[in-house]
Amino acid sequence: MLTVVKNQLRVCFLSIQYNIMREMVNKVTFLTNVVFMVLNDASILVQWFILFRLRDDVGGYSLREVLMLWGLVAASFGLSNILFARALSLPNLIINGKLDAYLVQPKNVLLGVLTSETRISAIGDLLYGVILVCVCRPGVGGFCLFLLFTITGALAFTAFALLLGSLSFWFVRMDILQNQMLMGMINFGTYPDGIFQGAARILLYVLLPVGMALWLPSHVMARFDGKMLMAVLGYVFLLSAAAVAVFYRGLKRYASGNLMEARL
Amino acid sequence: MFESGRKSVEGALLSAHGQGSVRRKPWRKYGVIYKSVLLENLQYAANVALGFFAYFVFIYIYIRLWGYMYRSPEELIAGYTKEQMIWYVMMTEMLYFGSNAGVVAGEVAKDIRGGNIAYLMNKPYHYTLYILARYTGEWSVRMPMYAVFAVLIGAVLVGPLPHFQWITVPVMALCAVLGITINAVFKLCISLFSFWIEDTTPFQWIYNKLILVVGILFPVEIFPKALQPLLKMTPIYTVCYGPAKLIVDFSLEKCVEILMAQAVYLAAGCALMFFIYGKGVRKLYVNGG
Repeated sequence: MLTVVKNQLRVCFLSIQYNIMREMVNKVTFLTNVVFMVLNDASILVQWFILFRLRDDVGGYSLREVLMLWGLVAASFGLSNILFARALSLPNLIINGKLDAYLVQPKNVLLGVLTSETRISAIGDLLYGVILVCVCRPGVGGFCLFLLFTITGALAFTAFALLLGSLSFWFVRMDILQNQMLMGMINFGTYPDGIFQGAARILLYVLLPVGMALWLPSHVMARFDGKMLMAVLGYVFLLSAAAVAVFYRGLKRYASGNLMEARL
Repeated sequence: MFESGRKSVEGALLSAHGQGSVRRKPWRKYGVIYKSVLLENLQYAANVALGFFAYFVFIYIYIRLWGYMYRSPEELIAGYTKEQMIWYVMMTEMLYFGSNAGVVAGEVAKDIRGGNIAYLMNKPYHYTLYILARYTGEWSVRMPMYAVFAVLIGAVLVGPLPHFQWITVPVMALCAVLGITINAVFKLCISLFSFWIEDTTPFQWIYNKLILVVGILFPVEIFPKALQPLLKMTPIYTVCYGPAKLIVDFSLEKCVEILMAQAVYLAAGCALMFFIYGKGVRKLYVNGG
Protein backbone atom coordinates (compact mmCIF):
# COMPACT_ATOMS: atom_id res chain seq x y z
CA MET A 1 0.00 0.00 0.00
CA LEU A 2 2.73 2.40 1.04
CA THR A 3 4.75 1.53 -2.08
CA VAL A 4 1.71 2.22 -4.29
CA VAL A 5 1.22 5.66 -2.70
CA LYS A 6 4.95 6.35 -2.96
CA ASN A 7 4.98 5.40 -6.66
CA GLN A 8 1.91 7.48 -7.37
CA LEU A 9 3.42 10.53 -5.69
CA ARG A 10 6.64 9.99 -7.63
CA VAL A 11 4.72 9.94 -10.92
CA CYS A 12 2.87 13.14 -9.95
CA PHE A 13 6.12 14.83 -8.99
CA LEU A 14 7.76 13.79 -12.28
CA SER A 15 4.77 15.01 -14.27
CA ILE A 16 4.99 18.47 -12.64
CA GLN A 17 8.77 18.49 -13.03
CA TYR A 18 8.49 17.77 -16.78
CA ASN A 19 5.77 20.42 -17.16
CA ILE A 20 8.15 23.00 -15.71
CA MET A 21 11.16 21.74 -17.67
CA ARG A 22 9.16 22.00 -20.90
CA GLU A 23 8.44 25.65 -20.16
CA MET A 24 12.06 26.30 -19.21
CA VAL A 25 13.24 25.52 -22.75
CA ASN A 26 12.86 29.22 -23.47
CA LYS A 27 14.49 30.72 -20.39
CA VAL A 28 13.73 34.36 -21.24
CA THR A 29 10.00 33.67 -21.59
CA PHE A 30 10.03 31.59 -18.41
CA LEU A 31 11.73 34.27 -16.34
CA THR A 32 9.64 37.07 -17.86
CA ASN A 33 6.46 35.20 -16.93
CA VAL A 34 7.56 34.70 -13.33
CA VAL A 35 9.04 38.16 -12.70
CA PHE A 36 6.25 40.07 -14.42
CA MET A 37 3.61 38.12 -12.49
CA VAL A 38 5.29 39.20 -9.24
CA LEU A 39 5.22 42.83 -10.48
CA ASN A 40 1.65 42.43 -11.71
CA ASP A 41 0.50 41.20 -8.29
CA ALA A 42 2.54 43.84 -6.48
CA SER A 43 0.95 46.69 -8.46
CA ILE A 44 -2.37 46.11 -6.67
CA LEU A 45 -0.70 47.27 -3.45
CA VAL A 46 -1.28 50.82 -4.74
CA GLN A 47 -4.99 50.26 -4.20
CA TRP A 48 -4.49 49.38 -0.54
CA PHE A 49 -2.10 52.25 0.14
CA ILE A 50 -4.72 54.62 -1.28
CA LEU A 51 -7.53 53.10 0.79
CA PHE A 52 -5.50 53.14 4.00
CA ARG A 53 -4.69 56.82 3.41
CA LEU A 54 -8.43 57.42 3.71
CA ARG A 55 -9.14 55.28 6.78
CA ASP A 56 -7.16 53.45 9.44
CA ASP A 57 -8.93 50.16 8.77
CA VAL A 58 -10.82 48.56 5.92
CA GLY A 59 -13.54 46.14 6.98
CA GLY A 60 -11.88 45.82 10.39
CA TYR A 61 -8.51 44.81 8.85
CA SER A 62 -5.28 46.72 9.36
CA LEU A 63 -2.90 47.15 6.40
CA ARG A 64 -0.75 44.30 7.74
CA GLU A 65 -3.75 41.95 7.91
CA VAL A 66 -4.82 42.88 4.37
CA LEU A 67 -1.30 42.16 3.12
CA MET A 68 -1.32 38.79 4.93
CA LEU A 69 -4.69 37.98 3.32
CA TRP A 70 -3.35 38.95 -0.11
CA GLY A 71 -0.24 36.84 0.48
CA LEU A 72 -2.36 33.84 1.40
CA VAL A 73 -4.67 34.20 -1.62
CA ALA A 74 -1.77 34.67 -4.06
CA ALA A 75 0.22 31.76 -2.63
CA SER A 76 -2.80 29.41 -2.54
CA PHE A 77 -3.80 30.28 -6.10
CA GLY A 78 -0.16 29.96 -7.20
CA LEU A 79 0.39 26.57 -5.59
CA SER A 80 -2.87 25.22 -7.01
CA ASN A 81 -1.87 26.36 -10.52
CA ILE A 82 1.63 24.93 -10.24
CA LEU A 83 0.51 21.49 -9.08
CA PHE A 84 -3.01 21.06 -10.45
CA ALA A 85 -3.54 23.63 -13.22
CA ARG A 86 -5.46 21.13 -15.35
CA ALA A 87 -8.41 21.39 -12.96
CA LEU A 88 -9.13 24.74 -14.61
CA SER A 89 -9.31 23.28 -18.12
CA LEU A 90 -11.10 20.06 -17.14
CA PRO A 91 -14.36 21.02 -18.96
CA ASN A 92 -12.37 21.33 -22.18
CA LEU A 93 -10.93 17.81 -21.73
CA ILE A 94 -14.35 16.31 -21.02
CA ILE A 95 -16.25 18.10 -23.79
CA ASN A 96 -13.62 17.35 -26.44
CA GLY A 97 -13.16 13.70 -25.41
CA LYS A 98 -9.53 14.23 -24.45
CA LEU A 99 -9.69 12.18 -21.24
CA ASP A 100 -8.97 8.93 -23.14
CA ALA A 101 -5.23 9.47 -22.96
CA TYR A 102 -5.40 9.47 -19.15
CA LEU A 103 -7.79 6.54 -18.81
CA VAL A 104 -5.37 4.07 -20.36
CA GLN A 105 -2.51 4.95 -18.02
CA PRO A 106 -1.76 2.47 -15.22
CA LYS A 107 -1.92 5.16 -12.51
CA ASN A 108 -4.65 7.14 -10.78
CA VAL A 109 -6.74 8.92 -13.43
CA LEU A 110 -7.63 12.00 -11.40
CA LEU A 111 -4.08 12.73 -10.24
CA GLY A 112 -2.81 12.06 -13.76
CA VAL A 113 -5.24 14.62 -15.17
CA LEU A 114 -4.70 17.27 -12.49
CA THR A 115 -0.89 17.20 -12.63
CA SER A 116 -0.69 17.22 -16.44
CA GLU A 117 -0.40 21.01 -16.68
CA THR A 118 1.52 23.72 -14.85
CA ARG A 119 1.00 27.46 -15.26
CA ILE A 120 4.40 29.04 -15.11
CA SER A 121 3.10 32.47 -14.14
CA ALA A 122 1.72 30.79 -10.99
CA ILE A 123 5.29 30.48 -9.72
CA GLY A 124 5.26 34.29 -9.64
CA ASP A 125 2.01 34.25 -7.64
CA LEU A 126 3.47 31.81 -5.10
CA LEU A 127 6.68 33.81 -4.81
CA TYR A 128 4.76 37.04 -4.36
CA GLY A 129 2.62 35.50 -1.62
CA VAL A 130 5.65 34.26 0.28
CA ILE A 131 7.51 37.59 -0.09
CA LEU A 132 4.48 39.57 1.04
CA VAL A 133 3.98 37.44 4.14
CA CYS A 134 7.71 37.61 4.96
CA VAL A 135 7.52 41.42 4.73
CA CYS A 136 4.72 41.32 7.34
CA ARG A 137 7.06 39.35 9.69
CA PRO A 138 4.51 36.92 11.13
CA GLY A 139 7.09 35.04 13.27
CA VAL A 140 7.98 31.35 12.98
CA GLY A 141 4.59 30.09 14.22
CA GLY A 142 2.72 32.50 11.95
CA PHE A 143 4.82 31.50 8.94
CA CYS A 144 4.17 27.80 9.63
CA LEU A 145 0.44 28.55 9.77
CA PHE A 146 0.76 30.48 6.50
CA LEU A 147 2.40 27.45 4.84
CA LEU A 148 -0.32 25.14 6.16
CA PHE A 149 -3.10 27.45 4.98
CA THR A 150 -1.42 27.88 1.60
CA ILE A 151 -1.71 24.11 1.16
CA THR A 152 -5.33 24.00 2.39
CA GLY A 153 -6.18 27.06 0.25
CA ALA A 154 -4.62 25.42 -2.83
CA LEU A 155 -6.55 22.20 -2.13
CA ALA A 156 -9.81 24.12 -1.67
CA PHE A 157 -9.25 26.09 -4.88
CA THR A 158 -8.42 22.90 -6.82
CA ALA A 159 -11.35 20.99 -5.29
CA PHE A 160 -13.77 23.79 -6.15
CA ALA A 161 -12.43 23.93 -9.72
CA LEU A 162 -12.65 20.14 -9.98
CA LEU A 163 -16.19 20.08 -8.60
CA LEU A 164 -17.44 22.69 -11.08
CA GLY A 165 -15.38 21.27 -13.95
CA SER A 166 -16.75 17.76 -13.33
CA LEU A 167 -20.27 19.07 -13.90
CA SER A 168 -19.28 19.07 -17.60
CA PHE A 169 -19.97 15.31 -17.54
CA TRP A 170 -23.67 16.25 -17.24
CA PHE A 171 -24.05 19.81 -18.53
CA VAL A 172 -22.64 21.99 -21.32
CA ARG A 173 -20.96 25.44 -20.95
CA MET A 174 -19.67 24.51 -17.49
CA ASP A 175 -16.33 26.08 -18.48
CA ILE A 176 -17.93 29.52 -18.32
CA LEU A 177 -19.58 28.84 -14.95
CA GLN A 178 -16.31 27.40 -13.60
CA ASN A 179 -14.31 30.39 -14.78
CA GLN A 180 -16.75 32.92 -13.36
CA MET A 181 -17.09 31.19 -9.99
CA LEU A 182 -13.32 30.84 -9.58
CA MET A 183 -12.75 34.46 -10.51
CA GLY A 184 -15.51 35.37 -8.06
CA MET A 185 -13.74 33.36 -5.37
CA ILE A 186 -10.46 35.22 -5.97
CA ASN A 187 -12.10 38.64 -6.22
CA PHE A 188 -14.10 38.24 -3.02
CA GLY A 189 -11.18 36.57 -1.27
CA THR A 190 -8.85 39.52 -1.76
CA TYR A 191 -11.10 41.92 0.16
CA PRO A 192 -11.67 41.86 3.95
CA ASP A 193 -14.77 39.95 5.01
CA GLY A 194 -15.77 42.84 7.28
CA ILE A 195 -17.15 44.82 4.32
CA PHE A 196 -19.71 42.10 3.54
CA GLN A 197 -22.71 41.77 5.83
CA GLY A 198 -25.93 39.80 6.07
CA ALA A 199 -26.93 37.22 3.47
CA ALA A 200 -23.95 37.98 1.24
CA ARG A 201 -21.55 37.11 4.05
CA ILE A 202 -23.36 33.84 4.76
CA LEU A 203 -23.28 32.94 1.04
CA LEU A 204 -19.56 33.64 0.90
CA TYR A 205 -18.98 31.28 3.79
CA VAL A 206 -21.33 28.57 2.48
CA LEU A 207 -21.74 28.71 -1.31
CA LEU A 208 -18.27 29.89 -2.36
CA PRO A 209 -15.29 28.49 -0.43
CA VAL A 210 -14.03 32.03 0.19
CA GLY A 211 -14.83 32.31 3.86
CA MET A 212 -13.71 28.88 5.01
CA ALA A 213 -10.63 28.59 2.77
CA LEU A 214 -9.29 32.16 2.85
CA TRP A 215 -10.91 34.48 5.41
CA LEU A 216 -11.03 32.06 8.34
CA PRO A 217 -7.35 31.09 7.90
CA SER A 218 -6.42 34.78 7.83
CA HIS A 219 -8.24 35.22 11.16
CA VAL A 220 -6.34 32.23 12.60
CA MET A 221 -3.04 33.73 11.43
CA ALA A 222 -3.95 37.03 13.10
CA ARG A 223 -5.20 35.39 16.34
CA PHE A 224 -4.66 31.67 16.78
CA ASP A 225 -7.78 29.61 17.48
CA GLY A 226 -7.59 25.78 17.55
CA LYS A 227 -11.30 25.30 16.80
CA MET A 228 -11.12 27.52 13.73
CA LEU A 229 -8.05 25.65 12.55
CA MET A 230 -9.88 22.32 12.83
CA ALA A 231 -12.91 23.81 11.07
CA VAL A 232 -10.71 24.87 8.11
CA LEU A 233 -9.04 21.45 7.90
CA GLY A 234 -12.39 19.64 8.14
CA TYR A 235 -13.97 21.89 5.50
CA VAL A 236 -11.12 21.39 3.02
CA PHE A 237 -11.23 17.62 3.58
CA LEU A 238 -14.99 17.48 2.94
CA LEU A 239 -14.80 19.75 -0.11
CA SER A 240 -11.98 17.66 -1.60
CA ALA A 241 -13.85 14.41 -0.91
CA ALA A 242 -17.00 15.80 -2.54
CA ALA A 243 -15.03 16.97 -5.61
CA VAL A 244 -13.34 13.56 -6.04
CA ALA A 245 -16.69 11.74 -5.62
CA VAL A 246 -18.38 13.95 -8.25
CA PHE A 247 -15.47 13.48 -10.68
CA TYR A 248 -15.57 9.66 -10.46
CA ARG A 249 -19.36 9.63 -10.61
CA GLY A 250 -19.19 11.72 -13.75
CA LEU A 251 -16.39 9.63 -15.23
CA LYS A 252 -18.80 6.67 -15.38
CA ARG A 253 -20.90 8.73 -17.81
CA TYR A 254 -17.89 9.72 -19.93
CA ALA A 255 -18.28 8.72 -23.56
CA SER A 256 -14.93 8.33 -25.23
CA GLY A 257 -14.15 10.50 -28.24
CA ASN A 258 -12.54 9.24 -31.45
CA LEU A 259 -9.62 11.61 -30.96
CA MET A 260 -6.18 10.04 -31.39
CA GLU A 261 -3.87 11.56 -28.81
CA ALA A 262 -0.70 10.47 -27.06
CA ARG A 263 0.81 11.81 -23.85
CA LEU A 264 4.58 11.77 -23.95
CA MET B 1 -15.61 30.23 -34.85
CA PHE B 2 -12.56 32.42 -35.27
CA GLU B 3 -11.55 30.92 -38.63
CA SER B 4 -15.10 30.85 -40.00
CA GLY B 5 -15.45 34.49 -38.91
CA ARG B 6 -12.35 35.38 -40.85
CA LYS B 7 -13.62 33.57 -43.96
CA SER B 8 -16.92 35.43 -43.85
CA VAL B 9 -15.04 38.74 -43.52
CA GLU B 10 -12.85 37.87 -46.47
CA GLY B 11 -15.87 36.78 -48.53
CA ALA B 12 -17.59 40.09 -47.90
CA LEU B 13 -14.38 41.95 -48.65
CA LEU B 14 -13.79 40.14 -51.93
CA SER B 15 -17.31 40.85 -53.07
CA ALA B 16 -16.88 44.55 -52.23
CA HIS B 17 -13.49 44.52 -53.96
CA GLY B 18 -15.02 43.00 -57.07
CA GLN B 19 -17.37 45.95 -57.42
CA GLY B 20 -14.44 48.31 -57.61
CA SER B 21 -15.84 50.51 -54.84
CA VAL B 22 -13.12 49.62 -52.36
CA ARG B 23 -10.42 51.04 -54.62
CA ARG B 24 -12.23 54.36 -54.94
CA LYS B 25 -12.93 54.64 -51.19
CA PRO B 26 -10.10 52.90 -49.32
CA TRP B 27 -11.80 53.26 -45.92
CA ARG B 28 -14.90 51.42 -47.12
CA LYS B 29 -13.20 48.02 -46.90
CA TYR B 30 -12.78 48.49 -43.16
CA GLY B 31 -16.46 49.35 -42.95
CA VAL B 32 -17.21 46.05 -44.72
CA ILE B 33 -15.02 44.16 -42.22
CA TYR B 34 -16.70 45.95 -39.31
CA LYS B 35 -20.20 45.18 -40.59
CA SER B 36 -19.39 41.56 -41.22
CA VAL B 37 -17.97 41.01 -37.70
CA LEU B 38 -20.83 42.95 -36.15
CA LEU B 39 -23.42 40.71 -37.85
CA GLU B 40 -21.48 37.61 -36.85
CA ASN B 41 -21.29 38.72 -33.20
CA LEU B 42 -24.97 39.53 -33.09
CA GLN B 43 -25.58 35.81 -33.56
CA TYR B 44 -23.78 35.12 -30.27
CA ALA B 45 -25.12 38.08 -28.28
CA ALA B 46 -26.60 35.77 -25.63
CA ASN B 47 -23.08 34.53 -24.77
CA VAL B 48 -22.15 38.09 -23.72
CA ALA B 49 -24.75 37.94 -20.96
CA LEU B 50 -22.82 35.05 -19.37
CA GLY B 51 -20.09 37.54 -18.49
CA PHE B 52 -22.47 39.72 -16.46
CA PHE B 53 -21.83 37.65 -13.32
CA ALA B 54 -18.15 38.66 -13.17
CA TYR B 55 -19.08 42.31 -13.74
CA PHE B 56 -21.72 42.12 -11.01
CA VAL B 57 -19.19 40.61 -8.55
CA PHE B 58 -16.79 43.52 -9.14
CA ILE B 59 -19.50 46.11 -8.76
CA TYR B 60 -20.96 44.47 -5.67
CA ILE B 61 -17.52 44.43 -4.00
CA TYR B 62 -17.01 48.11 -4.76
CA ILE B 63 -20.46 49.07 -3.54
CA ARG B 64 -19.69 47.36 -0.23
CA LEU B 65 -16.15 48.76 -0.09
CA TRP B 66 -17.13 52.38 -0.72
CA GLY B 67 -20.12 51.90 1.58
CA TYR B 68 -17.58 51.14 4.31
CA MET B 69 -15.11 53.88 3.38
CA TYR B 70 -17.68 56.72 3.43
CA ARG B 71 -18.51 57.48 7.07
CA SER B 72 -21.61 59.54 6.24
CA PRO B 73 -23.74 60.03 3.09
CA GLU B 74 -22.67 63.70 2.82
CA GLU B 75 -18.93 62.99 3.01
CA LEU B 76 -16.77 63.82 -0.01
CA ILE B 77 -13.65 61.84 -0.91
CA ALA B 78 -11.42 63.57 -3.49
CA GLY B 79 -14.44 65.72 -4.39
CA TYR B 80 -16.72 62.74 -5.11
CA THR B 81 -19.86 61.74 -3.23
CA LYS B 82 -20.37 58.04 -2.48
CA GLU B 83 -22.83 57.70 -5.37
CA GLN B 84 -20.46 59.42 -7.79
CA MET B 85 -17.54 57.24 -6.67
CA ILE B 86 -19.51 54.01 -7.17
CA TRP B 87 -20.88 55.20 -10.52
CA TYR B 88 -17.33 56.09 -11.57
CA VAL B 89 -16.16 52.51 -10.89
CA MET B 90 -19.28 51.13 -12.57
CA MET B 91 -18.57 53.14 -15.72
CA THR B 92 -14.86 52.30 -15.89
CA GLU B 93 -15.59 48.61 -15.26
CA MET B 94 -18.29 48.77 -17.93
CA LEU B 95 -15.72 50.08 -20.42
CA TYR B 96 -13.26 47.38 -19.33
CA PHE B 97 -15.68 44.44 -19.48
CA GLY B 98 -17.65 45.72 -22.45
CA SER B 99 -14.61 46.33 -24.65
CA ASN B 100 -12.74 43.14 -23.74
CA ALA B 101 -9.53 44.40 -25.32
CA GLY B 102 -7.84 41.11 -24.48
CA VAL B 103 -9.19 39.88 -27.81
CA VAL B 104 -6.98 42.36 -29.71
CA ALA B 105 -3.90 41.33 -27.76
CA GLY B 106 -4.59 37.61 -28.06
CA GLU B 107 -5.39 37.62 -31.78
CA VAL B 108 -2.39 39.66 -32.86
CA ALA B 109 0.11 37.71 -30.75
CA LYS B 110 -1.38 34.43 -32.02
CA ASP B 111 -1.21 35.57 -35.66
CA ILE B 112 2.43 36.60 -35.35
CA ARG B 113 3.59 33.59 -33.33
CA GLY B 114 1.63 31.12 -35.45
CA GLY B 115 2.82 32.57 -38.77
CA ASN B 116 -0.71 33.49 -39.92
CA ILE B 117 0.53 37.06 -40.28
CA ALA B 118 2.35 36.05 -43.51
CA TYR B 119 -1.03 35.25 -45.02
CA LEU B 120 -2.87 38.26 -43.63
CA MET B 121 -0.29 40.93 -44.51
CA ASN B 122 -0.72 40.22 -48.23
CA LYS B 123 -4.43 40.99 -48.19
CA PRO B 124 -5.76 44.25 -49.65
CA TYR B 125 -5.90 45.94 -46.25
CA HIS B 126 -3.51 47.13 -43.59
CA TYR B 127 -3.25 44.37 -40.98
CA THR B 128 -3.48 46.66 -37.92
CA LEU B 129 -6.53 48.51 -39.27
CA TYR B 130 -8.10 45.15 -40.14
CA ILE B 131 -7.69 44.06 -36.49
CA LEU B 132 -9.09 47.35 -35.21
CA ALA B 133 -12.11 47.08 -37.54
CA ARG B 134 -12.74 43.50 -36.35
CA TYR B 135 -12.36 44.54 -32.73
CA THR B 136 -14.76 47.46 -33.16
CA GLY B 137 -17.31 45.06 -34.62
CA GLU B 138 -16.95 42.85 -31.54
CA TRP B 139 -17.32 45.52 -28.88
CA SER B 140 -20.18 47.19 -30.75
CA VAL B 141 -22.31 44.25 -29.60
CA ARG B 142 -20.85 43.81 -26.11
CA MET B 143 -20.68 47.42 -24.98
CA PRO B 144 -24.36 48.39 -25.38
CA MET B 145 -25.35 45.22 -23.49
CA TYR B 146 -22.97 46.04 -20.63
CA ALA B 147 -24.14 49.66 -20.65
CA VAL B 148 -27.77 48.62 -20.18
CA PHE B 149 -26.81 46.14 -17.44
CA ALA B 150 -24.64 48.74 -15.67
CA VAL B 151 -27.41 51.34 -15.71
CA LEU B 152 -29.90 48.77 -14.41
CA ILE B 153 -27.83 47.57 -11.46
CA GLY B 154 -26.67 51.11 -10.76
CA ALA B 155 -30.26 52.36 -10.61
CA VAL B 156 -31.29 49.47 -8.34
CA LEU B 157 -28.28 49.20 -6.00
CA VAL B 158 -26.87 52.74 -5.93
CA GLY B 159 -29.67 55.06 -7.00
CA PRO B 160 -29.74 57.71 -9.74
CA LEU B 161 -26.59 59.62 -10.58
CA PRO B 162 -26.87 63.17 -9.18
CA HIS B 163 -26.88 66.03 -11.74
CA PHE B 164 -26.85 63.67 -14.73
CA GLN B 165 -27.88 65.38 -17.98
CA TRP B 166 -29.19 63.16 -20.78
CA ILE B 167 -28.33 65.82 -23.37
CA THR B 168 -24.63 65.14 -22.82
CA VAL B 169 -24.91 61.42 -23.68
CA PRO B 170 -23.70 61.74 -27.34
CA VAL B 171 -20.49 63.53 -26.23
CA MET B 172 -19.92 60.93 -23.51
CA ALA B 173 -20.46 58.15 -26.07
CA LEU B 174 -17.90 59.75 -28.40
CA CYS B 175 -15.45 60.04 -25.54
CA ALA B 176 -16.00 56.38 -24.59
CA VAL B 177 -15.50 55.21 -28.21
CA LEU B 178 -12.25 57.17 -28.45
CA GLY B 179 -11.08 55.77 -25.09
CA ILE B 180 -11.76 52.18 -26.17
CA THR B 181 -9.97 52.74 -29.49
CA ILE B 182 -6.92 54.32 -27.82
CA ASN B 183 -6.73 51.39 -25.41
CA ALA B 184 -6.94 48.91 -28.30
CA VAL B 185 -4.20 50.75 -30.23
CA PHE B 186 -1.82 50.62 -27.24
CA LYS B 187 -2.58 46.97 -26.56
CA LEU B 188 -2.00 46.27 -30.25
CA CYS B 189 1.36 48.05 -30.07
CA ILE B 190 2.40 45.78 -27.18
CA SER B 191 1.26 42.67 -29.06
CA LEU B 192 3.22 43.74 -32.15
CA PHE B 193 6.38 43.23 -30.10
CA SER B 194 5.71 39.52 -30.74
CA PHE B 195 7.77 40.11 -33.91
CA TRP B 196 10.81 40.30 -31.63
CA ILE B 197 9.93 38.41 -28.43
CA GLU B 198 8.05 35.13 -28.12
CA ASP B 199 5.52 36.03 -25.46
CA THR B 200 4.19 39.54 -24.88
CA THR B 201 1.54 38.46 -22.38
CA PRO B 202 3.53 39.59 -19.30
CA PHE B 203 3.75 43.12 -20.75
CA GLN B 204 -0.01 43.07 -21.30
CA TRP B 205 -0.47 42.13 -17.62
CA ILE B 206 1.47 45.16 -16.47
CA TYR B 207 -0.34 47.52 -18.84
CA ASN B 208 -3.73 46.08 -17.77
CA LYS B 209 -2.88 46.35 -14.09
CA LEU B 210 -1.76 49.97 -14.47
CA ILE B 211 -5.02 50.80 -16.21
CA LEU B 212 -6.94 48.91 -13.54
CA VAL B 213 -5.27 50.35 -10.45
CA VAL B 214 -4.69 53.89 -11.60
CA GLY B 215 -7.68 54.45 -13.88
CA ILE B 216 -10.46 51.98 -13.23
CA LEU B 217 -10.61 51.62 -9.47
CA PHE B 218 -9.94 55.24 -8.54
CA PRO B 219 -10.35 58.63 -10.19
CA VAL B 220 -7.12 60.58 -10.70
CA GLU B 221 -8.11 63.11 -7.98
CA ILE B 222 -7.69 60.49 -5.24
CA PHE B 223 -3.94 60.19 -5.83
CA PRO B 224 -1.45 62.54 -4.12
CA LYS B 225 -1.47 66.01 -5.71
CA ALA B 226 2.15 65.70 -6.84
CA LEU B 227 1.31 62.58 -8.91
CA GLN B 228 -1.81 63.93 -10.60
CA PRO B 229 -0.12 65.95 -13.41
CA LEU B 230 1.97 62.87 -14.23
CA LEU B 231 -1.08 60.58 -14.34
CA LYS B 232 -2.87 63.04 -16.62
CA MET B 233 -0.08 62.59 -19.14
CA THR B 234 -0.52 58.80 -19.34
CA PRO B 235 -2.98 56.95 -21.59
CA ILE B 236 -4.99 56.14 -18.44
CA TYR B 237 -6.34 59.70 -18.46
CA THR B 238 -7.84 59.24 -21.92
CA VAL B 239 -8.76 55.54 -21.75
CA CYS B 240 -10.91 55.28 -18.64
CA TYR B 241 -10.72 58.37 -16.42
CA GLY B 242 -11.90 60.77 -19.14
CA PRO B 243 -15.07 58.97 -20.27
CA ALA B 244 -16.08 57.98 -16.70
CA LYS B 245 -15.41 61.46 -15.31
CA LEU B 246 -17.67 63.01 -17.94
CA ILE B 247 -20.45 60.58 -17.06
CA VAL B 248 -20.35 61.20 -13.30
CA ASP B 249 -19.47 64.91 -13.32
CA PHE B 250 -19.91 66.55 -16.73
CA SER B 251 -18.46 69.95 -17.51
CA LEU B 252 -17.89 71.50 -20.93
CA GLU B 253 -14.39 72.63 -20.02
CA LYS B 254 -13.40 69.12 -18.90
CA CYS B 255 -15.03 67.63 -22.00
CA VAL B 256 -12.98 69.77 -24.39
CA GLU B 257 -9.79 69.01 -22.43
CA ILE B 258 -10.41 65.24 -22.51
CA LEU B 259 -11.39 65.17 -26.20
CA MET B 260 -8.24 67.11 -27.13
CA ALA B 261 -6.08 64.77 -25.08
CA GLN B 262 -7.77 61.80 -26.75
CA ALA B 263 -7.13 63.22 -30.24
CA VAL B 264 -3.43 63.64 -29.43
CA TYR B 265 -3.17 60.17 -27.91
CA LEU B 266 -5.00 58.50 -30.79
CA ALA B 267 -2.74 60.18 -33.37
CA ALA B 268 0.42 59.34 -31.42
CA GLY B 269 -0.75 55.77 -30.72
CA CYS B 270 -1.58 55.12 -34.40
CA ALA B 271 1.77 56.55 -35.52
CA LEU B 272 3.54 54.27 -33.05
CA MET B 273 1.46 51.28 -34.18
CA PHE B 274 2.28 51.81 -37.88
CA PHE B 275 5.94 52.34 -37.02
CA ILE B 276 6.24 49.12 -34.95
CA TYR B 277 4.31 47.12 -37.54
CA GLY B 278 6.49 48.48 -40.38
CA LYS B 279 9.65 47.53 -38.50
CA GLY B 280 8.23 44.16 -37.50
CA VAL B 281 7.17 42.91 -40.93
CA ARG B 282 10.63 43.69 -42.28
CA LYS B 283 12.00 41.33 -39.66
CA LEU B 284 9.54 38.56 -40.45
CA TYR B 285 10.85 35.19 -41.59
CA VAL B 286 8.43 32.77 -43.17
CA ASN B 287 9.35 29.12 -42.75
CA GLY B 288 7.08 27.53 -45.31
CA GLY B 289 4.39 25.05 -44.26
